[in-house]
Amino acid sequence: MNNSKVLGNLLSREIISVQQHNAIESYLAKKPFSVHWELRSLLYLGILFFGSGLGILIYENIDTIGHQAIIAAISAITIGCFFYTFKVSLPFSWLEVRNPNKFADYILLLGCSTFLILEGYLQFQYKFFGSKYGLAVIIPTIVFFFCAYRFDHKGVLSMAITGLASWLGLTIAPLSIISKNDFTDIKLLITSIILGLGLIGFGWISEQKDLKKHFAFSYLFLGGNLAAIAVITGLFIHEFKVLYFVPGATLSAFFIMRSRSSQSLVFLLMGVVYGYIILTYCLIKILPDKALGFLSVYYFLFSSVGVLLFLLNFKKFLRIKK
Amino acid sequence: MKKPYNETWVNNLAIQQISEKWRFNNLISHEQNEAVKVAFPEEFYRPGIFVKIGLFVFACIACSFFIGFIALFILDAGSNTFGLVSVVCCLCFTFFLEFLIKDRKLFHSGVDNALLYSAIGASLVPVFMLFENLEFWQYCICILAVLCFAAIRYADLLVTASAFVTIFTLLSNLMMKFPLGKALLPFGIMILAVVIYFSAKKIRQTYYRECRIVLEVLSLITLYLGGNYYVVREGNALLSDLALLVSPQIPFASVFYFFTLIIPLIYIFLGLRKKDRILLLVGLFALAFSIFTYRYYFGIFTLAQGLALAGIFMVIVSILCIRYLKEPKYGITDEPDGERKMANMEALIAAQYLGQTPQENGIEFGGGNFGGGGAGNTY
Repeated sequence: MNNSKVLGNLLSREIISVQQHNAIESYLAKKPFSVHWELRSLLYLGILFFGSGLGILIYENIDTIGHQAIIAAISAITIGCFFYTFKVSLPFSWLEVRNPNKFADYILLLGCSTFLILEGYLQFQYKFFGSKYGLAVIIPTIVFFFCAYRFDHKGVLSMAITGLASWLGLTIAPLSIISKNDFTDIKLLITSIILGLGLIGFGWISEQKDLKKHFAFSYLFLGGNLAAIAVITGLFIHEFKVLYFVPGATLSAFFIMRSRSSQSLVFLLMGVVYGYIILTYCLIKILPDKALGFLSVYYFLFSSVGVLLFLLNFKKFLRIKK
Repeated sequence: MKKPYNETWVNNLAIQQISEKWRFNNLISHEQNEAVKVAFPEEFYRPGIFVKIGLFVFACIACSFFIGFIALFILDAGSNTFGLVSVVCCLCFTFFLEFLIKDRKLFHSGVDNALLYSAIGASLVPVFMLFENLEFWQYCICILAVLCFAAIRYADLLVTASAFVTIFTLLSNLMMKFPLGKALLPFGIMILAVVIYFSAKKIRQTYYRECRIVLEVLSLITLYLGGNYYVVREGNALLSDLALLVSPQIPFASVFYFFTLIIPLIYIFLGLRKKDRILLLVGLFALAFSIFTYRYYFGIFTLAQGLALAGIFMVIVSILCIRYLKEPKYGITDEPDGERKMANMEALIAAQYLGQTPQENGIEFGGGNFGGGGAGNTY
């Protein structure tokens, strides 16, 4: 089905007039080929590459390059980036601000990365913050939160949330929640759950009060995954299962309900998957071992079919209008 | 052969999607777009990608436990009943597949994908069990036959891709049997890739639109890799079982140098010229791989230097292009022509790569990692 066929179809049903048909046809024939996103991706990747390459280079040559020179250079880049960002920034608003400047977002991201490098360098070489490591992490976090809100940048917001988590000793990056965190430590587990719930709450508030509404996704997604995975890990390895079951079940229900108000179905998936894991685990724990082997085939078969039916009809169940 | 998915709806869906794009570009009015939806209706069940993932995962669980369920009844101590189990399962899966497509109006919605893959898997088990001593290529032909049938009937992407891989495995396996064939293997692969590319280009039916794209992408990639110096040299060493530290130089090396350099450039040039995004994107990735190939054999920079230099180069090139293409030139422009869908994803990728917690020891200092945050490992 190509453009001219569609045009022909539309014309034959008299949805468009002959003039419009011809106009669209000539427009499509003349329309230039857009390489917008290819170039943007190239730019983005370039910044990532440059940042990583520069970081490793500095690390490798830390003895030969003069420290002052490096610090001066990184500071210059950082200050330059922030200066540029401030210069082209639009006035602050709680609504979504789209900066028409093509480079502003990328420059801000570069500035934030080099700011991290600079700070790490100062600490590594001069023990700038002494042994107050917490301070060293919370400063960029605060700066990033400020930048994210001031310049309306979701990427920097994610970096800020990550920073907040690492201030508490956690990894929150989507693919590393399980691999990088030591959840056998109960203190860390509780911290994760509280932080996750806090982030969810924050996201919910920003949505309700219309304070940078489009940031809610980042809060809910990062916080929700952290909390849910921590709850499930706790459920698996600790006693007092009820303590974990209740928030886990509530979270899953919240995700499913939430996918109803926003059209974001990623939350529906999260809710269903996490909820299924929690319920299945609890059932296996409750049932006596003897019945288990016999029942498990039936249970998994029928429960997964049940979930399928729910997902196939989720619009009806959640009363989402098309 | 009558297709399981309603072909009229498939066509109408394509019409709706194109007219939606036109509405977005203000080529047609909102009312006209609504009229299109009325005139060309479709009733497929197409949930979002995330629900699709959920459906797929749970359908896979259901399928595997269904096999267990059937096995409970049929399987006994005897050894040959497993073939019977898979035949029964295959029939059931196919029945459910056809039934759900009809009844629930599924259209590549996760459940049907899972059922199709399970059915194909189950149908192949008896082949392996009945004919135990076939040659490798004979198995390939059996698999290919099943996959081609499924791909033609259901137009599934993964099945199409698997058929593509199988046909190349078959070709390599056959050519490897002769010394001459072994030497000409890269050329054989490239020729087959070109043939598949141009036959795929001929597919006009909307029903196979996405399969066509998959075939185009895969055959372009295969064509490039077949002529890539790195792949040929290392592949040659691997096939000859040479356990050397450095794989030996290959015959016709200059031909492959030439291919490695010229194929990406041709892709990019033709992509821009013919306004073919697939060619352009594959060309860009191929160019990146060519640079990697060059660096692998002749590189003078360390990884870090290479990364930093490549980064600067990419930033400069993209900024220059963005500035240059402010006004459309040669039919190319920097203006976006569609809505950006992946903005949220981009933010998450940034979180993944730019902000991770301090790691034990070997802190990747800087590199945009939080590890550089001077935060030792006292947590």
